[in-house]
Amino acid sequence: MSKFLNELEANKMLSSYKIPMIKSIACKTKEETVIEAKKMRFPLAMKILSPHIQHKTDAGCVFLNVSSTKEVEENYEKIINNAKSYDKNARIDGVLLQEMATEGLEVIIGMKKDPQFGPVAMVGMGGIYVEVFNDISLRLIPIKKDDAEEMIRETKLYKIIQGARGIKYDMECLVNVILKLSEMVEKQGEIQEIDINPFFLYEEGKGGKGGKGVDALIKLS
Amino acid sequence: MNNHLDSLFNPENIAVVGASNNPLKAGYVIVQNLINIGYPKKIFPINIKEDHICGIKSYRSLYDIEDKVEMVVLIMPAGAIFDVMKDIENRMKSKNDIKVIVCASADFAETKTPEGIKRQNHLIEISKKYGIRIVGPNCIGVIDNVNRVDTTFVETLLPKESRGKKGGISFISQSGAVAASLLMSGASQPAPISFNKFVSIGNMADIDFIDLLKYFENDEDTKVIGLYLEGYSDGRRLINTIAEITVKKPVVVLKVGRSEKGASAASSHTGSLAGSDVVYDSAFKQYGVIRVDTLQELMDTMQAFDSLKLPDDGNVFVLSQAGGPGIYCTDAVSNQNNLEMPIIEDITKEKLKEIAPAMSSICKPEGYADITAAANVRHHVESLKVIINDSNVSSVLFITVVPTFLPQDKLAEKMIDLLENEGYRNKKSVFISIMSGNYVWECRKSIEEKGIYTFASPDQAVKALANMVRYSKYLKRIKGGSANE
Repeated sequence: MSKFLNELEANKMLSSYKIPMIKSIACKTKEETVIEAKKMRFPLAMKILSPHIQHKTDAGCVFLNVSSTKEVEENYEKIINNAKSYDKNARIDGVLLQEMATEGLEVIIGMKKDPQFGPVAMVGMGGIYVEVFNDISLRLIPIKKDDAEEMIRETKLYKIIQGARGIKYDMECLVNVILKLSEMVEKQGEIQEIDINPFFLYEEGKGGKGGKGVDALIKLS
Repeated sequence: MNNHLDSLFNPENIAVVGASNNPLKAGYVIVQNLINIGYPKKIFPINIKEDHICGIKSYRSLYDIEDKVEMVVLIMPAGAIFDVMKDIENRMKSKNDIKVIVCASADFAETKTPEGIKRQNHLIEISKKYGIRIVGPNCIGVIDNVNRVDTTFVETLLPKESRGKKGGISFISQSGAVAASLLMSGASQPAPISFNKFVSIGNMADIDFIDLLKYFENDEDTKVIGLYLEGYSDGRRLINTIAEITVKKPVVVLKVGRSEKGASAASSHTGSLAGSDVVYDSAFKQYGVIRVDTLQELMDTMQAFDSLKLPDDGNVFVLSQAGGPGIYCTDAVSNQNNLEMPIIEDITKEKLKEIAPAMSSICKPEGYADITAAANVRHHVESLKVIINDSNVSSVLFITVVPTFLPQDKLAEKMIDLLENEGYRNKKSVFISIMSGNYVWECRKSIEEKGIYTFASPDQAVKALANMVRYSKYLKRIKGGSANE
C-alpha cells in the first residue's frame, strides 16, 4: 500500500536534502494557528494539511495573502469545513501556515518510478497548467550535472530562464535542485513519487536568492 | 550458460534442417544463400526424402553427419520440433558439438497458443540441457559478411560478387520482416550496403539484444550498431548496456511504438512490453543513442556513420549547383536545432568568387553558395575544395542536379580524386546529394564504391548529418567538454 506524506513532512524531507523549501508551520487548532501567525511576517498563506487532499485549491483549502489575525481565524474555519465537505474520509492533520513566497518563475520538479526504467526525474514549466502546456523533460536517475543542464535546455522553460522576458533566472539553482532530488531518490528507495510544484525560481545574481519550493507531494511505497 | 556467440558468426559447418529443392521454400533459399555468399566450410542439408539438396549431399538426420556441426538452422514445420530435438539430443550424447541453433521456423510462443508455447519451451529446455544457444524462433536468420555466413531465407537479388563484402554496420532486428526489407532495400542502392553482422532475433527465446550488443561492443569490425526495437522487458538493463557502448561507437535505434496504438501493436507482436515511449526517448538522449523515425533515416544514418567523418560540430556549409534544391536543403538545415550555417573566412569568399561561374550567388545568405547550372566539373570540385579548407566549416552539404551537359562520369572521377585520393574526406565531413533517380545512378555508384555514401535527396543528407552532430556533441559532453555551446 502506498501512502502520501503530508505537505509538512514532504517539505521537511526535501529540506533535509538541502532542497530549498518555503518556511512552514503546522497548527492543530485555531488558537495555535493565531499564536504562530503572530510570530510570522504577514501576509501569510494558509492551507489544509492532509495527505489525502492533493488538489487543495480545487477543494477550497488554500488561502493566500492572509494579512491579519482576524483573517487567520476566519480562514481556519473555512479550510477545515471545505476539506471535510470535499472528502469526508480524508485525514486532516491541521492547517499549514506558510510565509508567502516572493513570486518567481514557476517550475515543476518531480520524480516517478517507471515499471521498466525505475526512477525518472522530471523538470518543466510549473503552475496549475502543467498538464496543459506539457513542457517537461525527463531523465533516468542517477543524474549528472550535464544531464540536468541538458534536460532543462530541452524545455521551453529554458528560453525564459535565459531571459526571453528580460529577466534571467538562476539556472544553477535549478540544476542543483535536480541533482539533490536525484541523490535523495537514490538514498531513499521507498520514495515512489515526488512533485514539487510550484518551485519559484528567482532572478540570477542579486545576492543569489536562488529559488524556493512552495508546494510538494511525496508518495512512499 | 556458455557464450558460443563466436559460433553464431563463424560456425564450423552448418546443418539445415528442412532444406528443400523447391525454390519456393525457405529451406531452399537458406541453402542457396549459404552457397552464394561463399560459406567456406561445410553445409549439411537435412531432408527426410532427398539425397541431394541444391547439389549438396543431404542427410536423414543430424545424428548421421560424421563431420563436426556447430550450427543447426531449423526451417522445418514447427510441429516437427519434438523429433528434431530428439535428433539433436542423440547427436549431443555422442558428438557433443552443436553450439548454436538458428530457429527460423515460426509458430512458436509468438502465436500465444498453448501448443506454440509448449514447442518453444521444449526447444529451450533441450538446448539448455546441452548448453546450446538459440537465435529465434520466428526469425529470418543471421548474416556475417566477414566469415561469409548467411542463414537467411531472404532473396535480395544482390549480385554474387557483392556478397560477403564486409561493411562496418552490425544490425539487430526484433522484426523479421523489417530485417528482410532492410536487406532488400540495402541491396538495391547504387552500391549495395554491406552489413558486418546482421541478426534477426525473433522471439528472443535465448539470445537477445543484450547478448548481441555486448558482442558487437567488443567486435572490432563493427563501427556502428543499428537496432530495430519494439520493446524489451528490462528497459533499464538495455539502456545500461547501450550506455557502455555509445562512449565507443554510435548506436542508431528505430524504436517503434511511439503512438499508443503502435505500442499496443508492438506488445501483441513480440509479446514484450513496449514501455513508456517518452521514457525511452529521454533515456536515449541521456546516453547518446541516436533515435531515428523512419527506415530511410535509419539506413542513411547508419551508412553515414560507417562511411563519413564524424563532424566536429554543427557548422555546415550548403554548396548547391541549383537554386531550388539549395533552398530546400537550407530549410531542412534550419529545422535542425543543432545545425548552423557559418560565416566563412573572407579569403574563402574571394576564392569562391574567382572559381565559381560568374552568375553564382556566394554567401547570400551566409554559409550558402549557389554555383548554378552553369557549373562544370571543375567548378564543382574546386568550390568544394575551397570550402573544405575553410576553418569555420565542419561539414559540407554538396548538392547537384546533373544536367545533360555535365559529364557525370567525369564528375564522379574528380570527386573521388579530391575526396579519396587527395584525402579531403578525412578533413571534413562531406554529405553528397546527387539528384536524382536512375539518371545519376552510375555516378553515385562510382563514388559509393569508394566507400563514400551518397544521398538520394538533400533532406535525407541533412537528417543523417544532424544525427552525427548529435552523437559528436554527446561524445564531447561525456568526455568532459563543456556542455554549453
